[in-house]
Amino acid sequence: MPTTLKLSHILSGTLVIIVVGSVLGLIYNTLSPAGITLKGNWSPKTTSDSLIVPYGYVEGQDPPAINLDYAMMKFQSKNTVFLDARYPEDFKAGHIKGATNLPYEEFEQYSPEVLPHLPKSQEIIAYCDGTECETSLLLARELVDLGYKNVQVFFGGWQEWQNAGLTVETGD
Amino acid sequence: MNLLRLLGRIITDKRLMLLFRIILGVTFIYASLDKIAHPEQFARIVYNYKILPGFLINIFAATLPWVELLAGLFLILGIFTESASLLVSFLFVVFIVAISINLFRGINLNCGCFSTDPAGAKHGASLLVKDFIFLFLAIMVFFFNRSFASLSGLFRRR
Repeated sequence: MPTTLKLSHILSGTLVIIVVGSVLGLIYNTLSPAGITLKGNWSPKTTSDSLIVPYGYVEGQDPPAINLDYAMMKFQSKNTVFLDARYPEDFKAGHIKGATNLPYEEFEQYSPEVLPHLPKSQEIIAYCDGTECETSLLLARELVDLGYKNVQVFFGGWQEWQNAGLTVETGD
Repeated sequence: MNLLRLLGRIITDKRLMLLFRIILGVTFIYASLDKIAHPEQFARIVYNYKILPGFLINIFAATLPWVELLAGLFLILGIFTESASLLVSFLFVVFIVAISINLFRGINLNCGCFSTDPAGAKHGASLLVKDFIFLFLAIMVFFFNRSFASLSGLFRRR
């Protein structure tokens, strides 16, 4: 039975485990390719995990469709690239923080700038304005045809992201 | 009276404490590994608990599994056993409170206790029972551990 005298020893031991464990966790997170950003970016609102897919989407054949919940989770990961398929004007007006613009309608012009930076195994999430647009799906299909192995489509897109109060930025 | 004393001796037996340490240690190590492998999924589970503010979620998700891993290792090896069992008891209280809050809110969430798989267990009430049993084991180890079969005991004897 621990005495009160020993209690301060025990408590400092507990603190040591917490501190050493946390430091190990932070080091591992920095070094691991699966690491997450330390500053969390989560919607303050309750998000639904429903998935809406547009007309023309072929389940099982097209790249996987993901919902807002999943996109938000992937946003924490350091190595997921969000590709914005909208026109540059729309992109400049506001986009998912850290996203790269690759306008589907001007694919020939923009792809030589963007694609060389992306290895074929890169995890990519394509999005456009929202469920009414189809350029995210068309862009994702194009990328799969080019040999990209890990492409997903976030159909909720810019609208759903913005409505959820998630992190955005403007400009290039 | 004698029967009570015998019962007391049995439930505080040093071999039983060793067994409790191993059960808790293995549980904690097992629970930490999947979270360490899938930090983003664990972060999403923490987010779904809707208790921590957004800016703390990822830091918590990156560090908690390692604290669990360390505490589990220490319990099995018998290093800082009292500190580790106190920490483990505290964590079980935290888990019990977090699950209870969400049961009360009517949210049956993915616990994220042993697996980050979204299809994981969603049995709030039975989880609480399990956590209370683990909490009991940890408290027993805290009070009645006598460094039997432990590294710290080995050093002390030399």
